Amino acid sequence: MLKLAQSLRFRQLFLSNRLSALGLIIVLLSVALSVLFGILGKGITPYDPYSLNLQQSNLPPSTSHYFGTDFQGRDLFSRVIAALPIDLGLPIAIVLLSCVLGIFLGMAAGYMGGLVDEVVMRVTDLFLAFPTIIMVLAVAATLGAGLVNATLSFVFVWWPPYVRLVRGGVLEVAAEDFISISKALNSSFYYIIMKGILPNIIPSVLTYATLDVGTCLLEVSILGFLGVGIPPGTPELGVMVGSISYGLYTYPWQALFPAFVTMILVVGFSFLGEGLREASDVKVRPYILFRGRKAKAPKVEPMHQGMM
Amino acid sequence: MLNPNPAHLWAGPRAKASTILAVAARYHLNEPIHLQFYYFLHDFLTGNFGIDPLTGQSILSEILFYLPNTLELVLVAFLILIIAGVGLGYVSGMHFSTSVDSLIRTIYLVSWSMPMYLGAILAILIFATYVPILPSGGMYSLSIKPVEGMTGIYLIDSLLELNFPAFLSGLQHLILPAAVLAFVNFGLIARAVRSSILNVRWSTYVKTARAKGLSEDEVQRKHILRNSLIDATSLSAVMFGWLLTGTVVVEQLFAWPGLGQFAYQAIEANDYPVLIPVVVVFTLGVIVANFVADVAYSLLDPRIAMGAQTGAIA
Repeated sequence: MLKLAQSLRFRQLFLSNRLSALGLIIVLLSVALSVLFGILGKGITPYDPYSLNLQQSNLPPSTSHYFGTDFQGRDLFSRVIAALPIDLGLPIAIVLLSCVLGIFLGMAAGYMGGLVDEVVMRVTDLFLAFPTIIMVLAVAATLGAGLVNATLSFVFVWWPPYVRLVRGGVLEVAAEDFISISKALNSSFYYIIMKGILPNIIPSVLTYATLDVGTCLLEVSILGFLGVGIPPGTPELGVMVGSISYGLYTYPWQALFPAFVTMILVVGFSFLGEGLREASDVKVRPYILFRGRKAKAPKVEPMHQGMM
Repeated sequence: MLNPNPAHLWAGPRAKASTILAVAARYHLNEPIHLQFYYFLHDFLTGNFGIDPLTGQSILSEILFYLPNTLELVLVAFLILIIAGVGLGYVSGMHFSTSVDSLIRTIYLVSWSMPMYLGAILAILIFATYVPILPSGGMYSLSIKPVEGMTGIYLIDSLLELNFPAFLSGLQHLILPAAVLAFVNFGLIARAVRSSILNVRWSTYVKTARAKGLSEDEVQRKHILRNSLIDATSLSAVMFGWLLTGTVVVEQLFAWPGLGQFAYQAIEANDYPVLIPVVVVFTLGVIVANFVADVAYSLLDPRIAMGAQTGAIA
């Protein structure tokens, strides 16, 4: 009963914020479109997003081509839809993998303490000092072009804030009475972790992750824009913007439409994440990125990590 | 992209077999990997960054050539970012839940959701193409003789030589990239300042300050603004790192001959002898920024003394 009341109140709080409702709509719509495209393929786009049609190249936006066409005559609107699965899938995969890594390492560091804590946190600090996008570029260039490689090179630099977030949460929860009582009752290690600690840190991790998907999307599209890691010709929003470097002055729409779509997607995830954070009223730990881990964290709202 | 033999890549597409062998020998490419690592570490720690395999120049001199340009861009962007972020955050916080507040919040939400290339493209299209008042790229006009100064930072050198046309041209070329770099990053500072203003402005010590009879100006300047700067200071180190990495995109679009562009070219060409020192320089920049922020932090907040046990903040 209490749970039901809580969830109702949560939904009320969440939806009362118009911006977060807008974010939810944007996210749901884009996810639905990308799933549809994944299932039906070219069936849902007005034109074939892949086939060339040089007679139709560089057309301005019109009623037949909403976003115009690119230099190879492909319909940009269709290509933007075809880009959604990649532009949503990559960031979500990166963030989820980072979450998993962060939960494992952060729990180990926070719960075991001692040497494990020291080693994990020093390595995390080390990775936090690397400049994000340059490191991603370097790793992606070394691994070679490919979506899986791009994902891996992102995960390589994306996990440290999650370790900090989880570790901070674990330290807080582990100091609670119910954990020491649980220990006194001789509960197993596994039981305490799974039933005591994990459920208490998951909400804050998921909230941060929602915000983070937007940030990650920005960086993924930058990787595409610079033409490293993501294979050329892939329908990806950043690749579409980056491929017009010569024609910017003559055909600005070829860059502007994909870029604005990227921005709308990021706005969607930002609003959704902000709304979740406010509604769930979890004190999102600003330990992330702050170096004074032992100090009590200043009251700052949660941070976007690595937005370039 | 990963070429099994970098020597092929570095020697050039039509290199003779003997040249390729010479390049391989020069970069120890035939040695086992742990020896290669030893050579790298030994040279690196003794300050020998080696020779760029693509240009044949010393990597250190290349970095020293590009670094001042990037520093100039990033420092000016940082200045704009701090002024805009703190200013807008302050105004927004002091006009809490008015139309001014929501306008500013919309601006910073847009700013941090904006991909950096979109900001740059819009700036180029608006201010350099449709209303051509600013140059779209480069560091100074071609009609101006480049300044050969001691610091390598163009604006400072041209000022030191009292070469005002060169200074103006440099400033004109700097405005757009620096403003774009600042605009896409300032939102976080603005939000942090706003939320700490909201924490501070109704607190009891502000009431006390008013009750003591301080003027409203003094209350706002010394008690509200100063305390809301504490959070912004620690954030500013993070922001500096973002600005540094942001140069990879911005320098590319604005044809700014800086370290970001240099790094990007090295990545494209698989030129990792260059890439490693460049990444180290970027990382050093982040570390130095963090250190400066720590010091500034303790200056702003007397409760945090250097070397003392950090207790309660805020």
